[in-house]
Amino acid sequence: MFGRLLSGVVVGVEAKLIEVQCDVGGGLPSFQIVGLPDKEVSESRERIRSAIRNCGLTFPPGRITANLAPADLRKQGVGFDLPIALSILIASGQVGVPASRLLIVGELALNGDVRSAHGILPLALEASHNKLDGMMVPADNAAEGALVPALSIHPIRSLNEAIAVLQGVGPRFVMDVSAAAAGEMTQKPVEHDLSEVRGQVAAKRALEIAAAGGHNLLLIGPPGAGKSMLARCIPELLPPLSFDEALDVTRIYSVAGLLSAGEVLVRRRPFRAPHHTISYAGMVGGGHGIPGPGEITLAHRGVLFLDEMPEFDRRVLETLRQPLEDQFVTLARAGVSVRYPASFTLVGAMNPCPCGHLGDESHSCACAVQDIRRYRRHMSGPLLDRIDLFVDVPRLTPDELMDTPLGESTDIVRERVARARERQWERADATGAASNARLVPQEVRLQCHLDAEGSQLLRRAITRFGLSGRGHGRVLRVARTIADLVGSGDIGAAHLAEALRYRSASLLRDS
Amino acid sequence: MMDQAGVGAAAEEQACRVLRAEGYLIVARNWRTRFGEIDIVARDGEVLVFVEVKARSSSGYGGAEGAVGPAKQRRIIAAAKAFLAANRCELASRFDVVAMEGNDVRILRDAFQVDDVWPSS
Repeated sequence: MFGRLLSGVVVGVEAKLIEVQCDVGGGLPSFQIVGLPDKEVSESRERIRSAIRNCGLTFPPGRITANLAPADLRKQGVGFDLPIALSILIASGQVGVPASRLLIVGELALNGDVRSAHGILPLALEASHNKLDGMMVPADNAAEGALVPALSIHPIRSLNEAIAVLQGVGPRFVMDVSAAAAGEMTQKPVEHDLSEVRGQVAAKRALEIAAAGGHNLLLIGPPGAGKSMLARCIPELLPPLSFDEALDVTRIYSVAGLLSAGEVLVRRRPFRAPHHTISYAGMVGGGHGIPGPGEITLAHRGVLFLDEMPEFDRRVLETLRQPLEDQFVTLARAGVSVRYPASFTLVGAMNPCPCGHLGDESHSCACAVQDIRRYRRHMSGPLLDRIDLFVDVPRLTPDELMDTPLGESTDIVRERVARARERQWERADATGAASNARLVPQEVRLQCHLDAEGSQLLRRAITRFGLSGRGHGRVLRVARTIADLVGSGDIGAAHLAEALRYRSASLLRDS
Repeated sequence: MMDQAGVGAAAEEQACRVLRAEGYLIVARNWRTRFGEIDIVARDGEVLVFVEVKARSSSGYGGAEGAVGPAKQRRIIAAAKAFLAANRCELASRFDVVAMEGNDVRILRDAFQVDDVWPSS
């Protein structure tokens, strides 16, 4: 006797359909799961046996074999409990063969309750892609599955409810997705307001540009000047995610199990600030079995903030180079290779030297030249080459500390940032890139028109700063964002001049 | 006073009566191989049942069902395999334990499975 159902497994942020087959035959009573199951899948035998008995059903006698096809793909996770249990019940004739093709996932408790699962969104996308009739989802995750348009979602709480759904009498869940997408963007009160940071007008301006165009930024200054305070203002400056971007980010957080309770769609751009002791695997992804996402992936479409950047392990910093360029990372392990998206804006903060006072007029620097050199060696040339904006954050003078009036509040700046990003999206409808920092060279040519004065200025700058091909492109992209902030179609000489100013920080001059 | 074998035989006799009352058909008794022994082989509808009878005079020492440990289970499974092979039987099968403590008799259906003793992974 034979039963089969569809389930799925998440590999990275993509899902793959798995056929769960079950055979109940004669012989001594035994229950095996084959098809490259990981430990947690094999352990599901005990949960399935107990759940079936505790729901008033019979665990069939004889030899039971469950197969997860295709057999060459490693199966991880606890979502197979439910489809295996149901296929056993079909194979033993206790449940009729279902008429519709549903994707089924869920972890079983010993009493037959269905527990919530990770990775529902990618599975739902895959079910929709394969034109299945619907998906059976643990009730707690129903809203997440319902984000996928035109996919019928059946929320279930127990094995018995799942049986009812298979027989066509169970509950169906209908949610207005547009409502979830439009609402929910409750404006949190601003925790760290830009106006609280005294002075530092240039640095605030750089934050605004970085947030608007997604440009990589490095803040350099002595301790106490306000670098970390400035960086903490970033999350509230960032423009909101578009719906497609939000789905993209939600998929990652769904797989990582980081969606907070009740959160359906991630609407805020991620802001990740790992400590400098972070490991290689923590940064790019890794872990046992199928490697999990790292900080760079969790910062996808948002900001990765590295405070005290030279304190990070050099190997960890160097791993950022490839994803900064390609916007994804591929983790290859024995048997599996996973590709994670990693399109993030890098914001770094550092002191100019180990003691922190180099170039500070009120403190003398106590560092030896070789110490400074060693400190800066952590930031390799190729890494610095990927940064668009270098900004000095100097110590404030007593006058600035005491008398500077409060600057612009976060609300005002965020408004400008959001409008600048909208302009980028309007242009992107024709071309594709979601932010100026992500423009490909061809798009730079098309979108970054300079007037005559600007062209001349750029020509002089290339000679004077010794701009590389990559550096030249970066200056143009930053200038494009500066023009977008004031709503200008063409890039003027003033915009270009400001963009060039962010390439002349002290760090680049005296190293 | 009866010897231990006598106690066992009397217990098995009583177990058979209980099983028959429950609708089981007794197929064989004290089926032996050199790997192990099965007290009772019976049919419960379409299922072949291998029954181990365990008698205790009281419920101390973990009770009668506690006395069927992994080593005993292994011997019963080995004998059951031999039984299926010898009789070319392809029925689905099950292991039951009849636990007796004084006058208290219980049938533990599906008491253990092959993979409890020999996990496949």
